[in-house]
Amino acid sequence: MPIARRSMIKGVVASCAVTLLRRQAKAQAAGPEDAAQIDLEKAKAEGKVVLYTSLDTQIVDAINAPFTQKYGIAVQYFRGGSSDVTSKVLAEADAGRPQADVVDASDLAALLLMKERKLLKPFKSAAAAAVASNLRDPDSTWITDRLTQAVIQYNSKELGSAPPKTWADLGKAALNGRLVYFSSANGDGAPRIYTLAKHLGWDVVKAMAATKPLRVQTPQIITQVLERGERIAGFLQNDNIAWRSKRQGKPTDYLFPAEGVPTEIGACGLLASSPRPHAAALYHEWWMGPEGQALLVKGGKYSSRTDVAPPEGSTPLSELKLLMLDYAEYKRDKTKILDQIADIFGGEWGN
Amino acid sequence: MQVIAPAGTARGAPAIAAAAPTGRFGLERILLGLGVALLLLLVGYPLLWLLLGALGLPQSIGLEHLARAFTRPQNYAALVNTLELALGTGLMSVAIGVPLAWATARSDMPLRQLVHVLVALSYITPPYLTALAYIILFGPDAGQFNRLLRALFGLTSGPINVFSMSGVIFVIGIHVFAFTYFLTYTALKAVDASLEESAQMLGAKRWQTVLRINLPLVAPAITGGALLSAIDSLALFGPQAIIGTPAQIVFLPTRIYATIGSYPPRWGEASALSLLLVALTVAGLALQRGYLEQRSYVTVGGRGVRTRRLEHGLWRWPLTGFCLSVVFFSAVAPIGVLTLTAFSNSWIEPLSASNITLAHFQAALFTDQVSVRGIINSFKLATAAAAVAVALGAIVAYLDLRTTLWGRRLLDYLAILPLGLPGTVMAVGILLAFIRFPLPIYGTIWILLAAYVARFVPLATRSANASFRQIDPALEEAGRITGASWWLTMRRVLFPLARPGLLVAFLLVFIPAFSELSATILLYAGGTETIAIAIYRLNDLGQLEVVSALAVFTIGVVLSLALLVNWLSGSSWASGETPIRG
Repeated sequence: MPIARRSMIKGVVASCAVTLLRRQAKAQAAGPEDAAQIDLEKAKAEGKVVLYTSLDTQIVDAINAPFTQKYGIAVQYFRGGSSDVTSKVLAEADAGRPQADVVDASDLAALLLMKERKLLKPFKSAAAAAVASNLRDPDSTWITDRLTQAVIQYNSKELGSAPPKTWADLGKAALNGRLVYFSSANGDGAPRIYTLAKHLGWDVVKAMAATKPLRVQTPQIITQVLERGERIAGFLQNDNIAWRSKRQGKPTDYLFPAEGVPTEIGACGLLASSPRPHAAALYHEWWMGPEGQALLVKGGKYSSRTDVAPPEGSTPLSELKLLMLDYAEYKRDKTKILDQIADIFGGEWGN
Repeated sequence: MQVIAPAGTARGAPAIAAAAPTGRFGLERILLGLGVALLLLLVGYPLLWLLLGALGLPQSIGLEHLARAFTRPQNYAALVNTLELALGTGLMSVAIGVPLAWATARSDMPLRQLVHVLVALSYITPPYLTALAYIILFGPDAGQFNRLLRALFGLTSGPINVFSMSGVIFVIGIHVFAFTYFLTYTALKAVDASLEESAQMLGAKRWQTVLRINLPLVAPAITGGALLSAIDSLALFGPQAIIGTPAQIVFLPTRIYATIGSYPPRWGEASALSLLLVALTVAGLALQRGYLEQRSYVTVGGRGVRTRRLEHGLWRWPLTGFCLSVVFFSAVAPIGVLTLTAFSNSWIEPLSASNITLAHFQAALFTDQVSVRGIINSFKLATAAAAVAVALGAIVAYLDLRTTLWGRRLLDYLAILPLGLPGTVMAVGILLAFIRFPLPIYGTIWILLAAYVARFVPLATRSANASFRQIDPALEEAGRITGASWWLTMRRVLFPLARPGLLVAFLLVFIPAFSELSATILLYAGGTETIAIAIYRLNDLGQLEVVSALAVFTIGVVLSLALLVNWLSGSSWASGETPIRG
């Protein structure tokens, strides 16, 4: 008896699931292919937009509020490290249950992987005209929204007079047990460590590791650790956090080493399976547009748009020597690179 | 009573069949069948997927994931660290749990009631909150205690580093030692004073009595408690991640999290590592059960036990000092520092009138998007999970106690099984099972509900079983003989009588589900964040004050409900029926 009922229940459940899947498939309407095709009414009718991002929530909130006010479209977001964002997008794609409309991550390799898996939708943004051609996909599936520089941040009470000035200084014995750096257990800190190694040699990285630095799970915590004097110097991957801490009058300062600064490309794109393609495109254009990007800059980030000024009081990017990563190479060799970094630093890198 | 139950049902059946020829079998069997199907779906099916996943399915089939899981040095390191952690916490639980149990159960120490309650408090505090508190307390340089020590002794850096293996063992140990404490406490309470008196009459000294009478009698409880502490510590993802990650120490649960959390997710490796973790827990539980069975010294006879408090003279004072310092570190300091942080403008500044604020509570409870959503989701999920788990538990207990159905023992086993499964492992199985056809609920709140029901159904089953056992089946038979249908008998006889027990079962599921972290972290999506996720994520962003406010709120909810359970069940904390968590 129970068997018969069970199979009946399973049958019912399965048919419900199939209906659900079909509905999902139908929802994946194409939507606009370029900015000019955005239909405001359709976007409003979709009611909300779901963003997956690795950007600091304070900046995301600042960008979202005027968007919702202007269009009446709510923005719901998931915020995690770039790996969290990416693994969620990939897992949801595997499940056939796409949740996100727009994805943004500060790891271009992640966007390249999504593109390779055909999860991103080509979309010609109006912002393309303002973003250098090497910072956007020729196939229009992604576009750089921000450039984040690694800096040396330090506690200004402890090191105000003689801060470490070069990356090599971070590996000196004076900083034994006084350095802090970041990576989540998923290896989010790896790309910029690799950039440094690639341009300045692995010895610089190994020397840093030899000081037995404290590892924290996010860049925000590096700054917190420095502010309260838990450590005195940090290999901070996000200049905007150092910028904010200094402006808030916390006892920290930061500098861009002259030998060059690892730069990370943060990029965004629309998901091909987006359940709300019109609202998604509208939001994408707000995010990439002059207003959205100005709010990003207000949070301390450098915009990818050439027509948006750098954060107040920051060195213009043109005056910095930017060290870039070949993201296609990084994506290809990721496991090997993570193994190498895990060997040097120990701990969990998701490799 | 248990023996009578099936026979009674069989005897009652024809009479009722005659009185109510239609409907009865239908409803009874539909309800019971549904319960069985749900249990198989929520517990059995994900476990099956764990095996399939380890074999590489659905992409491929082979043994390479298993081989990879067991040969990569990272995984090997995680295994060694996990074993070290289990051993460390097991030993620590004995070192502090046994003296404490002695002091509160058998000594004339002052404040023993307070110590007892504070041990319970440290046990119900979610361990990831204790871990957060310990970073504030014992961060190597800026931790409050280290700053104090630096100031006192003029040191340049703090002497105690929480970010180390001993730090992880300590923080987890002061949580899990409660197992050893409660088991030993109960065992000591059951030792009849006449045994001790006999020994003393035969000329044994006090210490000889303790060593040769008390210790052998409570040894199985101590060993059992140590093993339970060790097994629980394996599964505690929260403190392992919060303290282990900065310390560069990898454990199996954090390793599993990272294999899925980094991209592209490596399902096969995660499944294989999960199986390894299951093997560890099962081995531990089997050892514990075998040990207890072999060395069970029955001292509980038909008559009540008379215990005697021993006078410790001046020794009372060092004992009190020891006990108070243990509960200070396990409950007072962590909860205290979280509370102070939650109310201060900036936690690094000293507490003063100008540094007090309610702003963080406002942010946590009203303004922060993720936090508010987390609170609402946690209440919803815990309520729904507790309701479903109690229904399932009641069905399993009913089948076990009131019917002779074939396979009911197996069902009972299936419903108890998740007790031995770490949250991370359950989550991997549930992820693999419910990410695809026929029930693709990944990314929705339903997958969290499924995980919570699966994880905590054992608590409800045990509780329902205990409460049905106390009700004589003759009462239900009387109902049926007088012509009531099966459902009417349930509604009018069994449920009203079992209601207090089922309410306790509901709360026992609600409490751990409310603050669940280790499974949630793998299964949540945008929009389905819970309190634990809000705490974890806001902590990532360095918003420690808001995190503390949320933590204080969570502890407040959990504590009030635990007090309610205590009051409802009319027993002391020592009942041993304390909820599990992760």
